[in-house]
Amino acid sequence: MKKWHRYLPIFSKYMALPTDVMLDLPRITIIGQIHIYIENHQGIAVFSDTELTVKATKGSIQILGNSFVIKMMYPEEILLEGKIDTVKYIETNV
Amino acid sequence: MKQIHESYVTGFVTIEITGHQPELFFQHCIDHGVFAWNIKKNSATTCQGNIRLYDIKKIKQLRRNSRYKIKFTDKKGLPFLWRRMLRIKEILFALGLSIVLIVILSNILWRVTVTGVTQEIETKIDAQLEHYGIRPGRLLFTMDAPAIIQQKLLQDIPELLWVGIEQKGTTFAIEGIEKIIIEEKKNASPQNLVATKKGVITYMFVASGSPVVTVNDYVEPGDLLVSGVIGQTNEDETNSPNKQYVAAEGTIRAETWYEMDVTIPLEQQVETLTGNQQHKYYLDLNWQQIPIWGFSKITYDQTHEEISEHQLKFFQWNLPIKIIKSTVNEKNIQQVTRTVDEAIEIGITQARADLLLELGQDAEILSNKILHQSIDNGKVKLNLFMIVEEDIMEAEPITQGD
Repeated sequence: MKKWHRYLPIFSKYMALPTDVMLDLPRITIIGQIHIYIENHQGIAVFSDTELTVKATKGSIQILGNSFVIKMMYPEEILLEGKIDTVKYIETNV
Repeated sequence: MKQIHESYVTGFVTIEITGHQPELFFQHCIDHGVFAWNIKKNSATTCQGNIRLYDIKKIKQLRRNSRYKIKFTDKKGLPFLWRRMLRIKEILFALGLSIVLIVILSNILWRVTVTGVTQEIETKIDAQLEHYGIRPGRLLFTMDAPAIIQQKLLQDIPELLWVGIEQKGTTFAIEGIEKIIIEEKKNASPQNLVATKKGVITYMFVASGSPVVTVNDYVEPGDLLVSGVIGQTNEDETNSPNKQYVAAEGTIRAETWYEMDVTIPLEQQVETLTGNQQHKYYLDLNWQQIPIWGFSKITYDQTHEEISEHQLKFFQWNLPIKIIKSTVNEKNIQQVTRTVDEAIEIGITQARADLLLELGQDAEILSNKILHQSIDNGKVKLNLFMIVEEDIMEAEPITQGD
């Protein structure tokens, strides 16, 4: 099974399939500096006025900025409002 | 976003979570199907967010298994708004009641003024109005229309020549004009009495003047009956010294004859009201009529409906609401079939009544005879001959040529 998974990125690349669905990766939509919409995450880890860290399949996504408000929150979706400065992937080796 | 709007209808609360890493409590909530929005971190240990009103139970359950503290800081939405409205229900009730009161008071008769007549007639009018039930305090729309009251007053108070009722808001202004009864002056100027119709004189009474005709004389219209010239023994003696002119007076009745035609159908539909009636009341809102009283179904087969409208008022303004009273009378349609004899009898009575109406109260029908009778298209046609005794005289002034 694991060996088969290794070929998935290549497979999707050549088949022109949406990668987020294929690989179970988060999809992030950023509207200017004010909104950020993350789909397919796995729950928040840290949230404060200046930071939001959400868990993803591999590692987590850290968003830095200020005056953050979570406008909406569903099990796999999150809409953040505020002034966004950085979006950073933190890889952890699973 | 749709869900946020929806939650305004169902109501939502803002909660504040206190504890270590409070945002994780929201994550916990979402994992258990509690929708949250507008999550904000106030400080390192407090975090606020909105949840729906009906999720509170679940939130309390989730809290029980954690170390977080929940504080409710705000509540919004229709359920809370409704509760606030209920708290001021006394005021709302009072407001509604005062509007209803004003509407009722605007539709009450407050004053009746009578002008243009003497004290005596005024008292009579007041008494009559009292009798009709028109007195201050009466609801305007339960009374008859001014025009009907006007007619009734004219009928019941013979001294009134004319009466006008004007409804000025809540006041009835009644203006009357009295009849000036002038006693008929005795006509002192000389006159003759002449015949107006042809007939045979049956009765004579001469109060003044000299009679020219006698009982059983046949007269034609225009014939001299009683002369106003007295003291004249001979026709030729026009310049007799003791000639005098007087106003001839008296009563002269004669037998006159009339021919009449009447037609009576042998079969006729007669509509009669049985006297049973039902009342229904409606509110007329221009676009629709809403029944407010009398919901029972009308059980009559044949009906005759009478409708009267009453305008509702707010102060002096007409509200776009009318109260409509409908009276449904039970009607009976009868098919009347007559025999020829019955039809003739009805025809004769009808003819007699018609003739008396035409001739006045003094006339007396002595006898009648059927001259001709035919049945045609289910109708009886009668040609009647009537013998009547009536007053035939008429005063004619004498012009003295000098």
